[in-house]
Amino acid sequence: MVNLNTIEPRNGRNYYIALGLEGSANKLGVGVIKHTRLPNTASGDNSHNCQVEILSNIRDTYVTPPGEGFLPRDTARHHRNWVVRIIKQALEKAKINDPTADIDVICFTRGPGMGAPLHSVAIAARTCSLMWEVPLVGVNHCVGHIEMGREITKAENHVVLYVSGGNTQVIAYSENRYRIFGETLDVAIGNCSDRFARTLKIPNAPSPGYNIEQLAKNCQHKESLIELPYTVKGMDLSMSGILAHIDSLAKDLFKGNKKNKILFDKETGEQKVTIEDLCHSLQENLFAMLVEITERAMAHVNASQVLIVGGVGSNTRLQEMMGQMCKDRADGRVHATDERFCIDNGVMIAQAGLLQYRMGDYVKDLSDTVVTQKFRTDEVYVSWRE
Amino acid sequence: MSQEIIDTVAQYLTPSIPIKLISQGAEAVVFSTAVHPYCPMRETASGNEPTQYIIKYRSPKKYRHPIIDKQLTKHRTLSESRLLAKLFLIEHLNVPKLIATDVYNGYIWLEFLGEDLPNNCGYSNLKNFLWMYANDPYNEQVKNTLFEVGKQIGLLHWNDYCHGDLTTSNIVLAKDDNGIDWVPYLIDFGLGSQSNMVEDKGVDLYVLERAIISTHSSFSGKYNQWLIDGFSSIYKAQGKTGAKKLEEVLKRFADVRMRGRKRTMVG
Repeated sequence: MVNLNTIEPRNGRNYYIALGLEGSANKLGVGVIKHTRLPNTASGDNSHNCQVEILSNIRDTYVTPPGEGFLPRDTARHHRNWVVRIIKQALEKAKINDPTADIDVICFTRGPGMGAPLHSVAIAARTCSLMWEVPLVGVNHCVGHIEMGREITKAENHVVLYVSGGNTQVIAYSENRYRIFGETLDVAIGNCSDRFARTLKIPNAPSPGYNIEQLAKNCQHKESLIELPYTVKGMDLSMSGILAHIDSLAKDLFKGNKKNKILFDKETGEQKVTIEDLCHSLQENLFAMLVEITERAMAHVNASQVLIVGGVGSNTRLQEMMGQMCKDRADGRVHATDERFCIDNGVMIAQAGLLQYRMGDYVKDLSDTVVTQKFRTDEVYVSWRE
Repeated sequence: MSQEIIDTVAQYLTPSIPIKLISQGAEAVVFSTAVHPYCPMRETASGNEPTQYIIKYRSPKKYRHPIIDKQLTKHRTLSESRLLAKLFLIEHLNVPKLIATDVYNGYIWLEFLGEDLPNNCGYSNLKNFLWMYANDPYNEQVKNTLFEVGKQIGLLHWNDYCHGDLTTSNIVLAKDDNGIDWVPYLIDFGLGSQSNMVEDKGVDLYVLERAIISTHSSFSGKYNQWLIDGFSSIYKAQGKTGAKKLEEVLKRFADVRMRGRKRTMVG
């Protein structure tokens, strides 16, 4: 087992406190966690047993009007405006009065993500670090998701399905790296549903994907489907074609284009398909593809469990389909978390960052805190796992 | 593995065809049987050991919508059967022999290939084979085998077919007639297609390269090199046109690889 106790907690305490700052997309999250330092025995010091305690988990989402996405510049401005307030709120909730004495490490998202929002949060992290004299750790966003999911669900021998607004990856751990087995070749699944939500002009709060899910639930013709492209390529998938297809259908529907035989009856010109039907078909099609590549990866690495992380992971239909797939496999189990941990948050950055810090890997020079938009999951050396 | 699937298959095949479960892949469940579907004499013809046959069954996936499921099962079973029938006619290309197919229920009967590797290393697919040699990764036999695998893929692509899911578990090794060298067979053409597009070929090579990197990461550099050497040898044997096409495929392969690695990841 890996010994996580290479660095002593501050001021002779027997626990570590980490502050996590996340702002790679339109969510600004700040979280405070506590790890108890367990005695150095073979069974007590592995990452599965770091006994995380969540002291606070505050998030603020930048919500745009219906039909609009979030632009980097505006998102960065939102983060800049809110970051101080949110940090204060998180510290207060965690009952930390003196950050200099109490916090062991500040963790921030180094990438991947949108450049401007990442940058504004990194500046906040550097400022706090210098002000409170606390070391910094730069965290890979994807690894943050995985570590949080692992800690909450205690999944073992699992494949990770990471589905969010910017990423769609099937990941399995092997030899100190989270290796990517399959991923999207073009747009991410969350991006696909967000953009469709924009075409439909439905609200972006709490999240576009959530609203699509609700519309799909209300579909009256669940037994029928609108045919969409099914584009699995080995363990990879492609979603831009599906998006273009369903987008054009939705536009025809709004325009009342009677020539479209899929949407309107040939003779009477009656509308056959509703917005709900489109959402339902889109979800069924996309999730079937996701579950299929996950199953493929599971068969390839002999895993029995699935851990779903990322914002889209909070979709109950996806969880249900994944559960059904696992049921048909030997000892299959699916692990998923709720929106507090699925959707981007500060706690997950703190969790991954604190693990990294306890292995002695923290920023020695401020020039190492430059954020990067391209930062692949498999670039990170996972020293805290066997 | 749920008993339900086995029961369904047993019921479909009737008790006169005994089956043994071999493996559950992602898409299909594979059984072996000693009974030939329409030529029962074969059973005893070979003498001591009865000839084995493979039954590949695409079970309905309950997680996906019944309409999608039906479409996919029929489409994939049919295209796999067609492909196998066509590929079997290509000289020097090794694929399992197609015996029978039922596309609506998702059954395919195939010839049995491969054997168990020595020292409990499991069934003789390329994945287990490479793991068996993990202590001696640059062995001459590994090199030759991978070169041969590359040649098979080269032949496939040269004839304008694509596999669609090239992983190390989808390449089965069988001993040649004198029982010394391994002969690779490509199996599982469920995602295969006829295609003269460079893109598909590039993606094929990329999928295999990544499968090797993910499962045999420490020696993947050499392994992939040998595969590409074998692949190229087929094209180069075709003279000038071959060399030109090879260049195109390899160039696209490099492009696909770049696309995968440098994909922008936001969010």
